[in-house]
Amino acid sequence: MNYENIEILFAEDSKDDALLTIRALNKSGFSNKLHHVIDGAEALDFIYCRGKYAGRNPKEFPKLILLDVKMPKVSGIEVLEKIKSDPLIRSVPVVMLTSSNEGPDIERCFALGANSYIVKPVDSDNFFKAVKEIGVYWMILSQPSN
Amino acid sequence: MPDPTLTFKNGEKEKRAAELIIANKEMAFQNEEKEKRAAELIVANKELAFQNEEKEKRAQELAIANKELAFQNKEKEKRAQELIAANNELKKAQDDIRKLNDELEQKVIDRTAQLESVNKDLESFSYSVSHDLRAPIRAINGYTSILKEDYEGILDEAGIDVLQAIIDNSRKMGNLIDDLLAFSKLGRKQVTVSEIDMNDLVQSVIEELPKDASDCVPVFSIAPLIPASGDRSLIKQVWINLMSNAIKYSRYKKEIIVEIGAFTKDQFVVYYVKDYGAGFDMQYYDKLFGVFQRLHSQEEFEGTGIGLAIVQKVVHRHQGMVWAESELEEGTTFYFSLPQQNNT
Repeated sequence: MNYENIEILFAEDSKDDALLTIRALNKSGFSNKLHHVIDGAEALDFIYCRGKYAGRNPKEFPKLILLDVKMPKVSGIEVLEKIKSDPLIRSVPVVMLTSSNEGPDIERCFALGANSYIVKPVDSDNFFKAVKEIGVYWMILSQPSN
Repeated sequence: MPDPTLTFKNGEKEKRAAELIIANKEMAFQNEEKEKRAAELIVANKELAFQNEEKEKRAQELAIANKELAFQNKEKEKRAQELIAANNELKKAQDDIRKLNDELEQKVIDRTAQLESVNKDLESFSYSVSHDLRAPIRAINGYTSILKEDYEGILDEAGIDVLQAIIDNSRKMGNLIDDLLAFSKLGRKQVTVSEIDMNDLVQSVIEELPKDASDCVPVFSIAPLIPASGDRSLIKQVWINLMSNAIKYSRYKKEIIVEIGAFTKDQFVVYYVKDYGAGFDMQYYDKLFGVFQRLHSQEEFEGTGIGLAIVQKVVHRHQGMVWAESELEEGTTFYFSLPQQNNT
């Protein structure tokens, strides 16, 4: 598979949430350069070109990383921590996705350097709006800086 | 011729007689003296007898007094022993109290630890409820929306209606979960008390209230509000819930008027929010502040039945009270009281 020009790395273990998020991004026209991984371990493999991503160009980083907070093996928070403590990739914006605004996650994510935090709404209309915001965020990022 | 010897003897006898007379006189005198002395002795004797009697009397009195003293002494010893016993008892009681105090302190520490652990359990429970219950509902809502969007042409109107019902219900379930979690969070949230400028707070609530699409704009009539002490964010939630209720239940009236004011009562400031909306039947008043209790149908006025339960919980956590007066179709007034701010 060709992993070149991947602009959004999207880590989400829930098949349903992944489908709905990708569909919403699709509808906004942003998902053609998106790559979906199913847990934090795979996200780190992608970033560091390990395992099945061994052939990927390590100099190419995604422009935006979407991480679900709660994932098996390696959680979104652990991936966030790794990214933000690595000078090479630290500057890539990370948006955290979560099912709940409960618990200590929000503060922890911001303390670790997350750029944004989205509580996935139950309602699909609102979900679509939230994902669209990610799209807008990404669009601003991908504009060439002067 | 007188015998000289006889003469001498006569002379002697005369001398002797004279001497005897003298001696006799002397004796008579001595006798007199002795009699006088005897009389004196009798008097002295009488005196002595009297004195003796007195002394005996006194001795008897002393004996009685002595006995009394001995008795008193015994009493005092008894009392002293009693005092020692009482003292010992007091000491024991003090020790007991100290021991009980220590035990109590330990119990408080134990209970606090237990409560903290229950609180932690509750927190992780809410966390997993909000995570794990919301996810499948989100999926139901999302997939139904996909069905509705992508297969609209295949389904007839009744089919679309069913899909819309699923979407609406799952949305409602999501709201219920969120509200219930918000409510359970309230009990655990630390109350941070500070002085609240209520005029300022109510104004910010009005600005933040969601603007209804309908053309009926609520008219607020706000009297100057007395400041009170409380947790600003929690009290803000009270105003939001009461004011949005006032607007919601005035929806079918020609105009929406909401009156807000305050007065002091004892050590409390009482605030009120008055509307001229649908009102409720006071016979169901007991249900008004219950969790998930509603006095109107979902079709008439939507809601999860958690708003007033939150209001009550917040006000109670501030040691205040909340109550209401209402008349069907005339309107409702909600009151809540907060401790007056200290003038220190």
